[in-house]
Amino acid sequence: MRKKIGRRSTEDNIIDAIIYIIGALVLFLTIYPFYYILILSLNEGTDASLGGIYFFPRKFTLENYTFFFNDDKWIKAVIISVARTVIGTIFGTFITLIVSYGLSFENLKYRKFYMTVVFICMYFGGGIIPYYTLLKFLHLINSFWVYVIPGALNTFFVIVGISFFRGIHPSLRESAIIDGASEFQVFLRIICPISKPFVATMILFIGVGQWNSWYDSAFFIRDQDLRTMSYLLMEAMNKTNLSASAAQSGITISTTTSLSVQLAAMMVTVLPIIFIYPFLQKYFVSGIMIGSVKE
Amino acid sequence: MKNQKSFRMQLPLQVFALVGMIYLLIFNIIPMFGIVMAFKDYDISMGISGIFTSKWVGMKYFKEFFASPNFAQLVRNTVGISIYKLIFTFPIPILFAITINEMRNIICKKVVQTASYLPHFISWVIIGGIATQFLSSRGVINTFLVNTGLTKDPIGFLTDPNLFWGFAVVSDIWKEMGWWAIIFSAAIVGISPDLYEAAEIDGASRLQRIWHITLPGIRETTVVVLILALGNLFGGGLSGSNFDQSFLLGNTMNQSASEIIQSYTFRVGLSQGRYAYATAVGIVQSIISLILIFSSNTISKHISGLGIF
Repeated sequence: MRKKIGRRSTEDNIIDAIIYIIGALVLFLTIYPFYYILILSLNEGTDASLGGIYFFPRKFTLENYTFFFNDDKWIKAVIISVARTVIGTIFGTFITLIVSYGLSFENLKYRKFYMTVVFICMYFGGGIIPYYTLLKFLHLINSFWVYVIPGALNTFFVIVGISFFRGIHPSLRESAIIDGASEFQVFLRIICPISKPFVATMILFIGVGQWNSWYDSAFFIRDQDLRTMSYLLMEAMNKTNLSASAAQSGITISTTTSLSVQLAAMMVTVLPIIFIYPFLQKYFVSGIMIGSVKE
Repeated sequence: MKNQKSFRMQLPLQVFALVGMIYLLIFNIIPMFGIVMAFKDYDISMGISGIFTSKWVGMKYFKEFFASPNFAQLVRNTVGISIYKLIFTFPIPILFAITINEMRNIICKKVVQTASYLPHFISWVIIGGIATQFLSSRGVINTFLVNTGLTKDPIGFLTDPNLFWGFAVVSDIWKEMGWWAIIFSAAIVGISPDLYEAAEIDGASRLQRIWHITLPGIRETTVVVLILALGNLFGGGLSGSNFDQSFLLGNTMNQSASEIIQSYTFRVGLSQGRYAYATAVGIVQSIISLILIFSSNTISKHISGLGIF
């Protein structure tokens, strides 16, 4: 049976052609919008508003970025965004890991009850108004900690974590316990290191969520100094959208316009993600699988 | 030695679990009691205790919502956008995963796949900004259409209420297609290569192999993902994008098609301070959502024999 079975038929060639055309199309449709924003942000704002730029900047400049990084308002927002991402991710990942690790033990007393609570919380909630009232009561409204504390424990990730930790062989923990290690030491020194793909996935998901989040800044924060990048961008866009033609609007400050600075701000928000996610790819591809395929 | 079952013995592990329970109690369970607001004459000035001491008003706010001119439109938009997404955004990742799987050139495959995840990680705020650049009246696409004479006037992609649902669905597909294809790709990889070889020897064409091997091979995964999508039907299915889209892509011009119950709750509740009313509106959404999930489950059981519960 060693006969070559992979002989190509006309059908094969047609299907191949269709597949590679679709692939090329997807590639273009995904990359080009980001590329377009990049070249516009590298072009003089006043010139860009004339239109007609598609593949390369016409009047290359870094002015939009210089303007962005000299604007107090944007700098503050960048700092807040970075701070919430770092602190929120560390805290959120830690809480999620530790809770799902605890719940992953089959013989944990009251486990059934705990799991019921988790599932109820996953599907039901009080809605935004009672939640807001609670945050107000806890003095989290208009505080930086509203970015970190209330959303730290994500029930979906807990479920994912439980099925992940179940896959780890119990003898690893048991032998360490016999050697006199505490549960917390086992978790930190043994479980976390061997769960690297899962921890990396968590960090990526929670981190991106933190970096992109805009609604908490919009609804739970009034202090201008605590606004995040995403929120400021949203605000800026709403202003530009109000005028009939987005490309034309903006007060002219030398050759930059408010729109061209906004485009630079968009790139500053997007670039960290573009640079980071391909390297974590191998982790999240396995991470997303754990969550969906098992139970 | 095998006394693992006692609470004291398990104390450290119990503490891990209890941290979670306390968190859920504070941030999930307590707000659930807040829904009594919907039946009370509550005002934010009364403080927290006011939730319990304020006067009962029964169904007053529900009646007000049902009678309001917004009601029919909000339900239409909420249900409509969600169902559209279920019909259109759900199958596309499957087709895309199959397409990717059929690529024999590993580098091409990897590049297309990696690129396709990218939009998933980008927030709707940014995507709204990109959409403005491409779809506004002077954006790239309208400039192209007008210059080539395909249309006389620019198309109001971002402003025309008739186009909002389509825009919401297409942008959702663009953003999430690659991401959800990951799951299906992995399921396809898990299918035994022997099946394909045997089929090839038996003379099955490539399309037949896709139809008779690949599709049945990912049936279970499809049902699991469908369950996830149905569980969050009104959130916007898999990607849960309904609220972001309504809030960030909606505007005063397309409001009649873009405003959904969720965003209405925010607008009336947090911007206008009508807490009790907004809570009632939120409850109505939960109830419609439950009805839809249960009925789609029943239908699915009848048709395919597979259901969530």
